[in-house]
Amino acid sequence: MNATLALIQDTFREAFARRIFWGFFGCCTALLLFLIFILRVDVVQGALATISIFGRSLPSVGVTNLVEQTQSVIAMVLYFAGMALAVFASAGLVSAMFEPGRIELLLSKPVSRVHLLLGRYAGNVLVVSANILYLVVGCWVIFGIKTGVWGAGFLLSSLCTIFVFCVLLAVIVLVGVLWDSGAVAIMVTFAIMILTPILAQRFTIERLLSSEWSRQLVRILYYVLPKTSDIAVIVRRMILNQPIESWTPVWSTAVFGAVVLAIGAWRFQKRSF
Amino acid sequence: MSDYAIETEGLTKVFRSRWSKRELLAVDHLSLRVPRGSTYGLLGANGAGKTTFVKMLLSCTHPTAGRAKVFGRDTQEAEARRPIGYLPENHRFPTYMTGWGMLDFYGALSGMGTADRRKRIGELLDLVGLETRAHHLRLGKYSKGMLQRVGLAQALIHSPQLLVLDEPSDGVDPVGRKHIRDVLQALEQKGVTVFLNSHLLAEVELFCREVAIIQRGKLALTGTVEELTSGSGYRVEGLNVPERLAAELSARARTAAAVNGSLNLLFATREEANQAVDLLRANQCEIESLARTRSTLEDVFIKTVEAAA
Repeated sequence: MNATLALIQDTFREAFARRIFWGFFGCCTALLLFLIFILRVDVVQGALATISIFGRSLPSVGVTNLVEQTQSVIAMVLYFAGMALAVFASAGLVSAMFEPGRIELLLSKPVSRVHLLLGRYAGNVLVVSANILYLVVGCWVIFGIKTGVWGAGFLLSSLCTIFVFCVLLAVIVLVGVLWDSGAVAIMVTFAIMILTPILAQRFTIERLLSSEWSRQLVRILYYVLPKTSDIAVIVRRMILNQPIESWTPVWSTAVFGAVVLAIGAWRFQKRSF
Repeated sequence: MSDYAIETEGLTKVFRSRWSKRELLAVDHLSLRVPRGSTYGLLGANGAGKTTFVKMLLSCTHPTAGRAKVFGRDTQEAEARRPIGYLPENHRFPTYMTGWGMLDFYGALSGMGTADRRKRIGELLDLVGLETRAHHLRLGKYSKGMLQRVGLAQALIHSPQLLVLDEPSDGVDPVGRKHIRDVLQALEQKGVTVFLNSHLLAEVELFCREVAIIQRGKLALTGTVEELTSGSGYRVEGLNVPERLAAELSARARTAAAVNGSLNLLFATREEANQAVDLLRANQCEIESLARTRSTLEDVFIKTVEAAA
């Protein structure tokens, strides 16, 4: 436990030193301040009276609907743009661990390699989670205070975002173990992030493809790779209190993440430094 | 409990290129035994396989064949590394940490509790001679010598029974080197086994009792420093030696050199040296000095490496 805490603490210290944590924290705080000072919502006896941004009144809609729509926009920005930033920042944190002269010191300690890797992984997840939760809980509280709408969907959506980050971080870890390169890890992870929304349109793509093997390839890629686009739909539905049609994208993505992380741990175990 | 701190049997490492079929034999069936409580030096030319050998001891590198044990436990087990303190050659400590923070981190990884770490860190930073103002300074601001000192403290944080040091005095000034040597000697007296990998042969000779020389991954020579450097010859230095006698003695000596009016002669045996002294005295020459000489470890090392090549 001592070693695990030390590894997590070390990841935080490195994130602080690289200004990664503070960069995220600054962006999140800026958004929260925007919501506190710029967005003005007047609710009278449970009904929306006026809503204004930069002092300009907007057309009136239902309070709950307005809050949920705004939260879903924030969640989507966080899900895609925030995730890209998190991947960009985390790649360096993972590959730094494998630097010659540093890895030997870590491996010389009486801690198993899997423990070292998972400790770093957990630290990285917690660095990003702390910022996601700070933003989401902050937004949730501000909206709750300003409008009296305290729906749990937005809070739950942050867990989905963290979950997808965990899966993408597993990819970063695997690439880091194989090639020691933060840049390659970013490229591979971004490729997955770009490819999966395209694969989510597989029915349309299949109609456009002429050969059966290419259609089969699209299907395989869709089922094997994480379904970030489908999970984004789930996140949006959660916030809008709409029923979730299928949890398959979540569990199949979880399987992908677990397998990739297991391969990363296995390769790390076998590797000579 | 094993009598040996380190025991290797046929330890072999072959590096294979990922894409081509090229192979590099870095360590070749190396069997070595380092007795518990000894001070042991590992010597070898660049690329001889020293660092790979050390990395296999610490399980940073997996052996292709053979096995390594530390205090009787296979080094593949994480627990086998608990009694080991290690300072690598080209260490890269995280620059965002302070000296204190770095020791705290590696102490925690070594399984120490918070209270033990707090107590030990202050003691160690003083022991290695790091000024108090440097304790909470970021490592990025440390000089090379300071990094070596804090690195040594890192290796000692959990009071290890085996200390593996790779070039511990690299970048340290002569006073600092003496200080590090004193620290290591104090540890030796406490029964800690010190395994030193260094290019500084004079330093190894001063500190280690036993050495092993490896060449091209193979064990070329092993023995105590005393044995390896003993029995080189006898040096006689005479003054006012007539030319005829100087020529005669030079012919008998292994080496001879005339320097500032004195004749320096090196004889292989005591008898030859005694005969030379008799002749010099018979010719009214003065004896400036008479001493038994020893080989240096450098002589032994160069001879061994050249023979193996």
